[in-house]
Amino acid sequence: MKTFAYFDSGHEFPEEIVMAAGFDPCKILGDVEIGTGPADEYLHNYFCPFARACFTEALSRAGEWAGIGFAHGCDATNRHYDVWRAHIDKPFFWVNTPMKIDATARKFHLRELENFRAGLEREYGIEISDEKLAEAIRLSNRIKNGLKRLAALRAEHDINNLEYLELMNRALTGPRQELPEELERKLDEWQQRPPFPRALEAVLLTGSDVTSPEWMEALEEAGLRVVRDDLSLGERYFRAAIPEDIPPLKALVEYYGAYPQPATRVPSDRRLQYLETAAWENDIRLVISQNLKFCEPYAIDAVWTTGVLKNKGLKIIHLEREYTPTLDQQVITRLETFKEMALQ
Amino acid sequence: MIAIGLDIGSTTTKIAVMEERKLLYTEIVPTGYNVEKTWKELFAATRERLNLEMEMIGGIVSTGYGRNSVDIATRRVTEIMCHAAGIRYSLPGTRSIIDIGGQDSKFIQLGETGEVTDFKMNDKCAAGTGRFLEVMARALESNLEDFGKLSLVAEKAARISSMCTVFAESEVISLIAKGEARENIIAGIHDSIANRMVSMMGRSGVVTPVAMTGGVARNEGIRSALEKKLGISIEVPATAQVNGAVGAASLAS
Ligand code: SF4
Repeated sequence: MKTFAYFDSGHEFPEEIVMAAGFDPCKILGDVEIGTGPADEYLHNYFCPFARACFTEALSRAGEWAGIGFAHGCDATNRHYDVWRAHIDKPFFWVNTPMKIDATARKFHLRELENFRAGLEREYGIEISDEKLAEAIRLSNRIKNGLKRLAALRAEHDINNLEYLELMNRALTGPRQELPEELERKLDEWQQRPPFPRALEAVLLTGSDVTSPEWMEALEEAGLRVVRDDLSLGERYFRAAIPEDIPPLKALVEYYGAYPQPATRVPSDRRLQYLETAAWENDIRLVISQNLKFCEPYAIDAVWTTGVLKNKGLKIIHLEREYTPTLDQQVITRLETFKEMALQ
Repeated sequence: MIAIGLDIGSTTTKIAVMEERKLLYTEIVPTGYNVEKTWKELFAATRERLNLEMEMIGGIVSTGYGRNSVDIATRRVTEIMCHAAGIRYSLPGTRSIIDIGGQDSKFIQLGETGEVTDFKMNDKCAAGTGRFLEVMARALESNLEDFGKLSLVAEKAARISSMCTVFAESEVISLIAKGEARENIIAGIHDSIANRMVSMMGRSGVVTPVAMTGGVARNEGIRSALEKKLGISIEVPATAQVNGAVGAASLAS
């Protein structure tokens, strides 16, 4: 099956329409180990390094893809769309998504999804029927359900931060058809794991998407185990299910109003509510909030989020991180101190 | 029993020795390139000087950026916790610590019982640290040790607006070229460090009494600039420069 890649700063891109069109969706995630030199040639300094890494990946891998989709998320997605189109010879699709949730926004979103479906049909000479969409939604829900059950095991068993990141990477970039069975097998394996290690502290992770294995490992080395999160490469992707009892495109609109909201959406109350509930559900006291350097949505959001969560009695640390595989000692010291503070 | 604290910082390595929580000895040496060699030599020299057999040592706590290189440590603790422990030992009741070291600066908030309630560290940047002062001393062809006294006789602090060490250095060179008095420039440098520290601290977080530690605490010009900006008085313990090691030793006791 041919791959259709997409650049999405959050979880806004309607993968199910791409699946119904007969493609395997693949979220572009960049690679922290590869320098962003190729993308830097075309981009101004103020773009975040993650978006640069995604563009670098697209410049080298676009030949493998049937097309490239963009979903409106943070400002990087908007401007990158134009830059990528100028330098990569592929069919491009732009899916606008509303930044708020109300009746007008839903109407607008539905129109955008209809346009995207029509655009794919035109470009590839195919028909994306409601039946195919419903089938894709059922597959997507099976995947989300498998991920949700696996992620819940983080709080009970010894499943390290890196394994969770790798699981999410696989789910968002690999073939989808066989994924539900793969997840079932993993579930059997994870359920046999030893209990949650007593030496580690359970944390809730929020902020910019973490795609770097080194960062997840650094948390682990500092004695911090992520058991809940609201990342797009995490719970935001699988926490909510897409309704199966209403017309498929309407179901997607409903879904995007119900999933854990990113910082690009307003108002922030729903986002905060999710974080608070997640901490409460798993009896978590420690929250790690972080943003990638130059990631405006989460840098700005953190001021408000950390303040509110602190007032709710949670211990929270906010870190700005670099997009690099080599972590500096200062970040590790901050993380270790955070754990030591919790144990005082 | 003897307790030892080893603080391996980016610029200097410090050792503190305690017996039954009484401070016996402290020493500072440059860290240099080979961290492991440095602490091992310092540890051996200290043992020799105090006639310490290994069996007499009940605990060794290592801290600082090189803490993980100390394989004989019974515990490794971050410098923030050790600075807090050091101040609990030397100035109990302190609620805020300003620590300015060779390559980083920290602001640590303590609760009523001396526990760490929050902390802030400078980002990967030499601005507002001892390294910033060293660069400025070089530009002014002055001895860093004299900075404190010289700044106190300044008529007015020269304005240095750049926070970046490299740009601030060229501002200093321009001020020298314009004939600005050296004392005024030094006072301006101190103001610039104090501004950076105050913005990191965020005024709301400063609960008194406040103490200052780290090598830069010996510079009375910076302390006075901070006192003016914050409108409070700042205590400097006699062990300011070895505070992290003292804290580590107290945690090892
Ligand atoms: S890291 Fe932040 S700025 Fe960069 S693409 Fe993601 S949301 Fe946008």
